[in-house]
Amino acid sequence: MTRRPAFKSVLEKAELLGRLLENVLLSLLLAGMIGLGASQILLRWSGAGSFVWGDEAIRLMVLWVAMIAGIASAREDRHIAIDVLSRFLSPRGKSIAALIVDFFTAVVCLTLAWYGWRMVEFAIEDGDVFFGGLPAWIFQAIIPAAFLLMGYRYLVWFARRLREVVTGQQSTMQGAQP
Amino acid sequence: MIAVSLLLVLLALLGAPLFAIIAAGALISFISIDPELGIAVPIEIFSIAEMPILLAIPLFTFAGYLLSESQAPGRLVRLTSALLGWMPGGLAIVSIGACAFFTAFTGASGVTIIALGAILYPALAQAGYDDRFNLGLVTAGGSLGLLFAPSLPLILYGVVAEVNIDDLFIAGILPGMLMLLSLAAYSLWMNRGNRVPLSDFSWKEVGSALLESAWELPLPLVVLGGIYSGLLAVSEAAAVTAVYVVLVEVVIRREISLKKLPGIMRESMVLVGGILLILGASLASTNYVIDAEVPQKLIGIVTNLVDSRVSFLFLLLLFLLVLGAFLDIFSALVLVVPLILPVAAEYGVEPIHLGMVFLATMQLGYLTPPVGLNLFIASYRFNKPIVSVYLATIPFLLILLAAVIVITFWPGLSLMLLG
Repeated sequence: MTRRPAFKSVLEKAELLGRLLENVLLSLLLAGMIGLGASQILLRWSGAGSFVWGDEAIRLMVLWVAMIAGIASAREDRHIAIDVLSRFLSPRGKSIAALIVDFFTAVVCLTLAWYGWRMVEFAIEDGDVFFGGLPAWIFQAIIPAAFLLMGYRYLVWFARRLREVVTGQQSTMQGAQP
Repeated sequence: MIAVSLLLVLLALLGAPLFAIIAAGALISFISIDPELGIAVPIEIFSIAEMPILLAIPLFTFAGYLLSESQAPGRLVRLTSALLGWMPGGLAIVSIGACAFFTAFTGASGVTIIALGAILYPALAQAGYDDRFNLGLVTAGGSLGLLFAPSLPLILYGVVAEVNIDDLFIAGILPGMLMLLSLAAYSLWMNRGNRVPLSDFSWKEVGSALLESAWELPLPLVVLGGIYSGLLAVSEAAAVTAVYVVLVEVVIRREISLKKLPGIMRESMVLVGGILLILGASLASTNYVIDAEVPQKLIGIVTNLVDSRVSFLFLLLLFLLVLGAFLDIFSALVLVVPLILPVAAEYGVEPIHLGMVFLATMQLGYLTPPVGLNLFIASYRFNKPIVSVYLATIPFLLILLAAVIVITFWPGLSLMLLG
């Protein structure tokens, strides 16, 4: 690991930037949903009508929140899960179970990213539009992008567990970001 | 296909994220027909952006998170103790009422135990209540109020079952009250020997506690009043609630600093996102299940085995109890409701009544080993071994179970207020 410090520090910077971007986007989207939601009501009550694009924008924001939060949860390995069996496993058994689970999740996410990309391609081919003129694919692209990042996250988790299993050392950073 | 399903169940039990399990099931089903069909899964996930009602989920959850981070829980406890603290067992009743109010807004995500438990648990101990009783009460209280508007599972049931959410909010009142009152009665009975009241009743204290909570008290009115006066749709009421709570806790009271606000916003959105992702994946799997006519097959099997409504309800209850012990409420909602809704209709069970039975039983799931969320949160929060939390919670679990049985076999309780 010490052999490629430059590469590592680039990765670390990308990590920090990614985390910052997630947090900023989540907060902005929530603020946007609240602000836009409230102004739609005020405009309607005042008899001025409401923004024609407002409702569509809010609905897209809900989707974006879901996808970006998905990336954030993957970073912290905090997705909703059942996790009954691993309680009864030895530390090594736990690491192996996590290894399998992380690999499986990465494969699912990357498959979803691939099909999400197919969906975006179709939207580009068909020239779908939102808000009466903007290309729909811009808004749909969050799906392949988010699943790609989630897949990456779980691959990172997988690599870390693999190291645990091979070296027999427990990771001390469980729950922290990879 | 059966082998694949078993493998997915195994992976789920090993701790794979549920959205991935559900999405994998949907992907495999569609791809096995034609590899090109895998595209149906992201398309269904995208349909999250086609349901206007979903806006209510992030906004109510954010409002609940913000409330739990402010001093509102303390004020709520002070007010209820001013009103009820004079009776023997009063503080237990206070805890039950405060928990229910709070959970309605935070959607039983464990926030109640963390925010209110920290105040109530030591207060109960100080007032001389038995430690085991307190632990059980606070743990059980963490999911009480799930049936009251605007709780997140209630909204999600409306989305999945395509039932009017306004009606669900009304339907939840009496079954929710039943659960509340049964626990209150048990608490009074258990503490009949504890004659020391928490405080004397004082109009002055009531007045000042009322004044202190003056900003938070109108919240249920904003939500329910807005919706039932026809002024606001459910998602609009959520927007108003969020604006109101930000104004009160950040601008007026300044209990949440602007610096802390983005962190709370992020945390609440991470929780919501996880739930929405499960919903999105399940839209795809449900789509497949319905195309494959699974509900019809299920109806065929069940009607062969079960001949009356009562025995169907009994079976349903058993099934949901087991389900709730293993699956969290949100995943159970999105996966199972589309399957049992048509079967229940075959037996003349109203979708609204089914919703009450479903949610009330799932509420027990928070308290049943092995995966009851509240048990773990309480064990962690109060630093108690998980087994002693199990044992302390059992009496409360049994009482709530009795209430659930009543809710199941007395549809009138859920439907009465709807006329």
